[in-house]
Amino acid sequence: MSLLRKKDEGFTGDTVTMTGVSLSYDSGPDILSDVSLAIPQRSFYFLTGPSGAGKTSLLSLMYLAQRPTRGLVTLFGEDVTAASRGRLAAFRRKLGVVFQDFRLLDHMTTFDNVALPLRIAGLGEAVIQRNVGELLKWVGLGDYTEILPARLSGGQKQRVAIARAVVGRPKLILADEPTGNVDDAIAVRLMQLFVELHKTGTSVIIATHNEALVSRFTFPRIHIDGGAVQVLPAAAPATPLAVGM
Amino acid sequence: MRFTAFRSDLPLRRDTASRFVLWLVMVLVFMASLAVTVNSYVGELLTDWNQSVSGTLTVQIPLTAGNEAVTGASANKVLDVLKRHPAVASAELVPRAKVNELLKPWLGQDDIIADLPLPALIDVALFTETGEAVAAVSASVKTAAPNALIDDHRVWLGRVIGLAQGFAAIALTIMVLVASALGLTIVFATRASLAEFAQVIDVLHVVGAKDGYVARQFAWRALMQAVTGGLAGLVLYAPALGLVAYLAARVDPEVLPQVSLPLGHWLALAGLPLAAGLLAMLTAHITVRRALAQKV
Repeated sequence: MSLLRKKDEGFTGDTVTMTGVSLSYDSGPDILSDVSLAIPQRSFYFLTGPSGAGKTSLLSLMYLAQRPTRGLVTLFGEDVTAASRGRLAAFRRKLGVVFQDFRLLDHMTTFDNVALPLRIAGLGEAVIQRNVGELLKWVGLGDYTEILPARLSGGQKQRVAIARAVVGRPKLILADEPTGNVDDAIAVRLMQLFVELHKTGTSVIIATHNEALVSRFTFPRIHIDGGAVQVLPAAAPATPLAVGM
Repeated sequence: MRFTAFRSDLPLRRDTASRFVLWLVMVLVFMASLAVTVNSYVGELLTDWNQSVSGTLTVQIPLTAGNEAVTGASANKVLDVLKRHPAVASAELVPRAKVNELLKPWLGQDDIIADLPLPALIDVALFTETGEAVAAVSASVKTAAPNALIDDHRVWLGRVIGLAQGFAAIALTIMVLVASALGLTIVFATRASLAEFAQVIDVLHVVGAKDGYVARQFAWRALMQAVTGGLAGLVLYAPALGLVAYLAARVDPEVLPQVSLPLGHWLALAGLPLAAGLLAMLTAHITVRRALAQKV
């Protein structure tokens, strides 16, 4: 299967921008406070920070599950702060999201979970069969297409979640601890999948605690702590990348 | 509303919140079917009665001092006047035997009826049933027999029409109540299902589903449940109608005339499951759209 996608035509600005963004829940204290950042197109960032620092909240603003309490958020050059729900759905189809807890639909088979974004987008069944089948083989789950999530291991669920996030060839992938439930070898292998997608022009943001994993790659990081955000430059990899899918 | 997504992404088979909907629709459609049938039957009965008395009069010559000969002479005089009247198409003296037959369902034994002092009755058919014609004929009859009583059946028919209108109003009220009960049931069941499947719906949204996509899945399920429940209601109704028809057939036709229910009645019955389905579908769709519109 080719994961290459067509170049975006027309739009040349930042994939995500946040300007003076704050977020609080139910009038509580700010989880994020006056955050401003820009994620350029075709970039790859790690999102790091201690537990409870606001990584998941920052991602949720990007995948449009929350609206900021204050400030402006743009996706692909358009203000999404006050966009209608119908418009938000159109933006979400350009995103691929991997959740820390997978959020697989446990009444659907592996195949149907991965096919879900394509079916919602209205693609033909022949295309879905081909693309999903090839992607599942690529992530090592070719023999698990008809298995329900309850019978998969944590690592296998993680790979299904990642496959579901990337099957629609999104412009931006947001992953929350995507390697949190797999061993190091699988973690590096999954990371390699994100790197391959990044090479085709997809922007990637990966929230992780795994400093060892971060240090293996030469990507910059967004560090969040106490509601404030810093963008740190890329460092040289601590360990050479020698993985293959 | 598009229905391209008949494959459900929601685990609706596990939906405990709306399992009762099918059974409730069955009962509601059963009740609505009975209401439609009662309304149709009363309407047909009224039409039948109206046609049978329209343009007719009944002239009654009371028994004069117990002397049937005097009454008979008076009746013949009135009959003669009526037959020559330009507004009268026909006038016939009702034979005593027929009067006895009419009374038999109410009074029973022949020997009791035979001994009764009965008035003479004349059936009159008019060319046209106008107020002027009825007044002219009545005046002529009164001239010939001042003690004659003329009945154009309007008072009786007016009361029967009032009764029929009462039945129609009750049937309409039942239909409104049934529709309201169905609508409210779907609203509450859909809200409960939305809560039950909140996490699944969140995932559908994250992977790009619009509110309409989610709403269509609930609407399709509501349509299927209501149509299935409606058909079950009709299945329940069939033996009930059969039983009522059997019991009605045993009643004397002079007391309860046999009428055929019109094609429109059967079409209305056949349309009930579909109407229930459409109402359920629209209600579920609107309920989901409104609930989701309140989210972020």
